[in-house]
Amino acid sequence: MNGSGSGIRTRRTAVTGIGVVAPNGLHADTYWKSVKEGASVLDRITREGCEHLPLRVAGEVRGFDPSALIEETFLVQTDLFTHFALAAADAALQDAGLTKAAAVADSPYSVGVVTAAGSGGGEFGQRELQKLWGQGSRFVGPYQSIAWFYAASTGQISIRSGFKGPCGVVASDEAGGLDAVAHAARVVERGTDVVVVGAAEAPLAPYSMVCQLGYPELSTDEDPATAYRPFTSAARGFVPAEGGAVLIVEEADRAHRRGAVVRATVAGHAATFTGASHWDQSREGLAHAIHGALDEAGCAPEEIDVVFADAMGVPEADRAEALALVDALGRHGTRVPVTAPKTGIGRSYCGAPLLDIAAAVLAMEHGQIPPTPNVFDICHQIDLVTATARPAELRTALVLSRGLMGSNAALVLRRGPGSTA
Amino acid sequence: MTTEVTQVTVEELATLMKKAAGVTVDPRDLERRADAPFADFGLDSLGLLGIVGELENRYGRALPTDAERCKSPRAFLDVVNGALATGA
Repeated sequence: MNGSGSGIRTRRTAVTGIGVVAPNGLHADTYWKSVKEGASVLDRITREGCEHLPLRVAGEVRGFDPSALIEETFLVQTDLFTHFALAAADAALQDAGLTKAAAVADSPYSVGVVTAAGSGGGEFGQRELQKLWGQGSRFVGPYQSIAWFYAASTGQISIRSGFKGPCGVVASDEAGGLDAVAHAARVVERGTDVVVVGAAEAPLAPYSMVCQLGYPELSTDEDPATAYRPFTSAARGFVPAEGGAVLIVEEADRAHRRGAVVRATVAGHAATFTGASHWDQSREGLAHAIHGALDEAGCAPEEIDVVFADAMGVPEADRAEALALVDALGRHGTRVPVTAPKTGIGRSYCGAPLLDIAAAVLAMEHGQIPPTPNVFDICHQIDLVTATARPAELRTALVLSRGLMGSNAALVLRRGPGSTA
Repeated sequence: MTTEVTQVTVEELATLMKKAAGVTVDPRDLERRADAPFADFGLDSLGLLGIVGELENRYGRALPTDAERCKSPRAFLDVVNGALATGA
């Protein structure tokens, strides 16, 4: 990434740690194993209070015990979406070989935090609003003022670890997950040593689910095997999910000096906006974002070895994405392997592009393109990897994301030198 | 009519700190360090505000606005119990 636009890159942003809390794994290793195998964990929603709603299939994070991972003083003032983020941040720091103490050894101001969020803490908010209307305003707890706010996860990660560097929250729709990583890279370029960056969401609670019911793109199919099948003639929308991922990004030379493994570098990013549900227009917007990301990365279209697709699962949106790949990459757009592991876990809104970044980094490290679960009969001119993982030498990955409100973003990742060590 | 004086004890404060803010504190420790800042026990300003709310609901009356600004357990209990005693 090059925030100045001068063409001279002085500070490169490396990914040195990955923390995952996903429907198919509570750790990056288990997540990758499931993604590589193309397992689908989409299932009927079991969350209490949601049984009667006409949204039946989702990717639930199961077996996650916040009380085993997070102190009670933080638990009482945070929603599940923040619990996911705090747990993923801990895992990412550990993965990067950074204890909290070591991270702030030079200065607490050397570590920043950036998250993206789409909806905030719906479950916590619902509980307090029920007290408001059931008992009265005096029964609403003060932590309501912070817990359901979409900035909560950034604040709590920062407070809990004592990270006092530049902090921010990106609220730019689902694609904001990619924008947050780009923002973190710019923070690193401007001089901050380390940024904890990620997104995790918890949209499977009654209030939160009702908020989603109005989305025409939502799949209300009751069969987990057919509910989310992008790029096929049976595409009928997307399936939501919980969870997300947190990355540790830091200046590449600094990472080398402290002996950390540079897993990947954040090479380029661009974002555009084409309006809610105007999926035909997202073709141009997405193509423009890809162009911009390649330009910033100094990357030729042929260098892209794999594309992690947005894969909305809406026919017009899928067509727009397939065409955008050709618009932006030329003939390479029909030949480059494309994958969408999220068809096996669902879309956790802003968390989804973070999980895709995690999968892209792990795919480059393992030389394996994970498949697209539940998808077999492609009706677009793209080389979608299905059924089983495809071995490939992967040096550069392109991650795409779109949001329901019209944001489009593209991010280029380069494999790190450390991944062969 | 009885004129029983209602008092919030250190034990009750410890219970409220747990309930409202997730802070675990031994009541004896709270008593011993009654002049230490709430922050030393891990209680933040929103947590104290939650405790004030709990007490107001329990006693069915408003407490002085000074209560939520108290910095230490002793100062807080003095304000709260003073208000409850005078019926102000």
